[in-house]
Amino acid sequence: MKVSRRDLLLGTAGLTAGIFFTPVPWKVLDDVSIWTQNWAWIPQPPRGPVTTKLAACTLCPSGCSLRVRMAGGFPVGVSGSPAHPLTKGALCPLGFAAHQLNWHPARLQEVRHQGRAASWEEARSAFEKACAEGPIAIVDGRSGRAASIVLQSFAAKHKASYDALRNAEEKSLAPYAKWANVSVSSLGYDLENVRTIVSFGAPLLDGWGVPGRFTHLWAERAAGESDPQLRLIQIEPKLSRTASGAWRWIPICQGSEELLAASLASVLIEEHLVPAQGPVPPASVTDAASQTGLTPAAIRELARAIVDRKPVLCISDGESPAIAALNLLLGAVGTPGGILPKSGHPLPMPPASANDKPLRAVLIDSTVPWEYVAPEGAEAFRFAAWDGGGSRAEWLLPAPGFLEELSDLPSPPTCAVATYAVAPNLLSTSAQTKTAAEFLLQIDPTLPAIDQTIRARCEEIFRARRGTVHAAKPASIASFESAAKLEQALRDGGVWLDDPPAHSPLKCSLREWPGNSGNRAPANWATTWAQPVLPPLAAKLYQESSLRETPQRSQS
Amino acid sequence: MSARYGMVIDLDRCTGCGACMVACAAENNVPPLPARATDRTGLTPMLVHKVNNGLEGAGRREAFIPIACMHCANETPCVSVCPQQAVEVDKATGIVMQIPQRCLGCRYCMTACPYHARYFNWWDPSWPPGMEKTLNPGVATRMRGVVEKCNLCHARLHTAMEKAAAAGKKEIEMTDYIPACVEACPTNAIQFGDLANPDDPASQAAHSPETFRLLARLGTEPKIYYKSRQPWVRALAERSASGHATEGQHV
Amino acid sequence: MNRHVLAFAIGLVFALVAGWVVFPRVLYSHQQQPVDFPHKTHAAKSGNADCDGCHPFNSDGSFAGIPKNDTCAACHTDKLGTSPAEAKLVDDYLKTGTTTPWLVYSRQPANVWFSHAVHVKRAGLACADCHGALGTSDEKRLYEQDRISGYSRDIWGHSISRLRRAPHDGRTMSDCEDCHHKRHIEVGCFGCHQ
Repeated sequence: MKVSRRDLLLGTAGLTAGIFFTPVPWKVLDDVSIWTQNWAWIPQPPRGPVTTKLAACTLCPSGCSLRVRMAGGFPVGVSGSPAHPLTKGALCPLGFAAHQLNWHPARLQEVRHQGRAASWEEARSAFEKACAEGPIAIVDGRSGRAASIVLQSFAAKHKASYDALRNAEEKSLAPYAKWANVSVSSLGYDLENVRTIVSFGAPLLDGWGVPGRFTHLWAERAAGESDPQLRLIQIEPKLSRTASGAWRWIPICQGSEELLAASLASVLIEEHLVPAQGPVPPASVTDAASQTGLTPAAIRELARAIVDRKPVLCISDGESPAIAALNLLLGAVGTPGGILPKSGHPLPMPPASANDKPLRAVLIDSTVPWEYVAPEGAEAFRFAAWDGGGSRAEWLLPAPGFLEELSDLPSPPTCAVATYAVAPNLLSTSAQTKTAAEFLLQIDPTLPAIDQTIRARCEEIFRARRGTVHAAKPASIASFESAAKLEQALRDGGVWLDDPPAHSPLKCSLREWPGNSGNRAPANWATTWAQPVLPPLAAKLYQESSLRETPQRSQS
Repeated sequence: MSARYGMVIDLDRCTGCGACMVACAAENNVPPLPARATDRTGLTPMLVHKVNNGLEGAGRREAFIPIACMHCANETPCVSVCPQQAVEVDKATGIVMQIPQRCLGCRYCMTACPYHARYFNWWDPSWPPGMEKTLNPGVATRMRGVVEKCNLCHARLHTAMEKAAAAGKKEIEMTDYIPACVEACPTNAIQFGDLANPDDPASQAAHSPETFRLLARLGTEPKIYYKSRQPWVRALAERSASGHATEGQHV
Repeated sequence: MNRHVLAFAIGLVFALVAGWVVFPRVLYSHQQQPVDFPHKTHAAKSGNADCDGCHPFNSDGSFAGIPKNDTCAACHTDKLGTSPAEAKLVDDYLKTGTTTPWLVYSRQPANVWFSHAVHVKRAGLACADCHGALGTSDEKRLYEQDRISGYSRDIWGHSISRLRRAPHDGRTMSDCEDCHHKRHIEVGCFGCHQ
């Protein structure tokens, strides 16, 4: 018999009715809804056991201890380590997203010569040629590391100059170093014993010094108190975060900090608020009043407030001889609660050397801030893990990134007590990256290797028999049987903290009141971060919220 | 376990650094958004607001208020409006639990939340190549079109529960469960604990007279408390629509 | 019989056969494990009758899951026998350092949190209670994957209608809920989700 259209329609109707009595529509609906939840382009987090390893951050001189959570060989989370004697577990805001930094789109993957891909061999022969042809300079952004010893030894052996750059915090200590004829790296601020801090624009609560060190002190002793144990007087033109948290905010006109310091000194001497010693500042209260925008009465009242509760310490943002002279007058140099020399600092710091002749080439370590510009005419060999853009360096050389470099951590610039730690390389780096030190070691293998220097330093610390190692629990140096055991404790994440300094006096000789040092660039939350890029999640702070302004980076 | 996890945030200690915001985003696999995202379309489960005392010149002062989900305990607004039942208050912990995979993106909860603590995924999450290997295994990623919010770092609660179970204990150790924002704060401004446990320091802090809650008069019983000794900050927090501080209305 | 009813009935029967017989066959793809692994042989030969010899808990309470190459290499540094499966394991995976791409029958979505520690150590469940007597068999089970959802057939269960199921067949959310209801253990969303 012939199949008619009606048969087909009825058959289809039967099919449709029947399908609902099968699992098909229900299972397909369920599966399709699951399918819509699993688009291939939505990244899935890794699976697998998470282990926690101790490390240290090397992105700035503070060297905060880290607990890094790892899964499948990748870092999946970062937090501070409460065992660190200075940070007590704090990190800067950028540190919490630093574990993602190695995959930043601006990561430098290959050697580049004038914008084109090149090889390490070419870079090496170009550098060796430059060394042979004329004077070269080696620029180090964080002197004092084992890598710095390599850089400085190379410079000494090959008659190059070694230039140790200082950041703003170190620069604030430079005047005392000059007047007392000691090295800058041997000085520090004894914040723990101070009762009044006069900060001339230094962002003490927002990125100054070691994260956590001052913020914890301030939180315990000052936050919210109308009569705090620790008085913070913030002198700066705008209401910064530090100014908001300060006991007193003194708004002054931009650039008048040093004149104010000088006039405060003259008030202190005039009203016999300090024992008269040292040079008299050539600044009257009326001069300062007109420049700063404060009334003469306000300046006098400020001077009285400064000495009301001693010890008092002034901190400048960057190098300021006038503010340093004020500290000298206040008796804050070489006394507890002031600027102190770190006790018997056992780690020899390489001395800087300078060269007057025009340079043939400059080797720039990855710790040098991106804004650094090589002298005109010098062929620049720039080591960096990330390409911040706009670099005029002829050679861009890929350096290891976050947690990819074995390094040691000498005392951070602002600390009055010496510390030492080792930052392990938790992540293996590709063969394409090299540190400046490794590069020079390849050219001259007789230079002291990093491991060798670390071992020597641990032996020095062990022999000096001072201090404690802060790991899960603090352990006195006496509890270590050998230097090797001490070294292992540091490589496992411990931090050595020296005993408090034995108040060795710091004799500063100052003939006359110093002149002004010139304008300084205003500090913002990103300027202490030396890297050319920010972690991607930092955008939460300034783009996806109005908490902070976009960091202004000076153009090179 | 019948805990009521909550926080006491000391606004006098908050310096507005933003470490809590970054730590929260890293812990919860919040993606960095495209360049065209703004503070209105941002994804910030922890968000620090800047407020000021209204004065100009030398008398001006600013304060910073970290705001995340308040984990409201009474007639939780977002729970009551969700058509998908994608949000629920956990009886065991007091956490207001949001399952983004169940959300259909109607954003009714965003309208209902009096604290603006909920955020919408306007874009699919996208990380630079390779960066997805650094995601936290304990938190699932979301796709665009769903709402998300602070979940009190329940991934860390899970880790603490597993550790307790492996050690044969029924209750977790509070030292094992520390939310990312609490851990990150460099002034220890955020105290976290079980508000139902009278021995917990956070619970004791929450009951002190210095402590207040935002929009307390709405009666949602938020579990995030704030404290400040500065009168202008308290006045700002308890300000009614007319702009005047409503003194005496402490709940 | 009325011709129209016949046409309808033919369509109906066709649908029923397609839905109940053809559909389950077509929905699932069949894949082989990378290496034919015999559980019973290993339990006997390694002297480890308990599952946690190769599937232990880590010190923090997390579950090791499917063993990594290190565990296999502890015995199979070199070929112990002559089976082609072992040869494949040693040559293709252990010696090259490539992670063996085991197909996981019980793989759940990323937003599911299942804690072995809570279920085994706290609730006192035995491995066999959920996984069956895996250790007593050398069965080389096929991995069947749902072509639409991408998950293993073990999740929905082998019974396509989910009626007359074998015990412990199926690992969907409702299966977890059933067990919890039976034992009167109430957990909120975050008890199982992340």
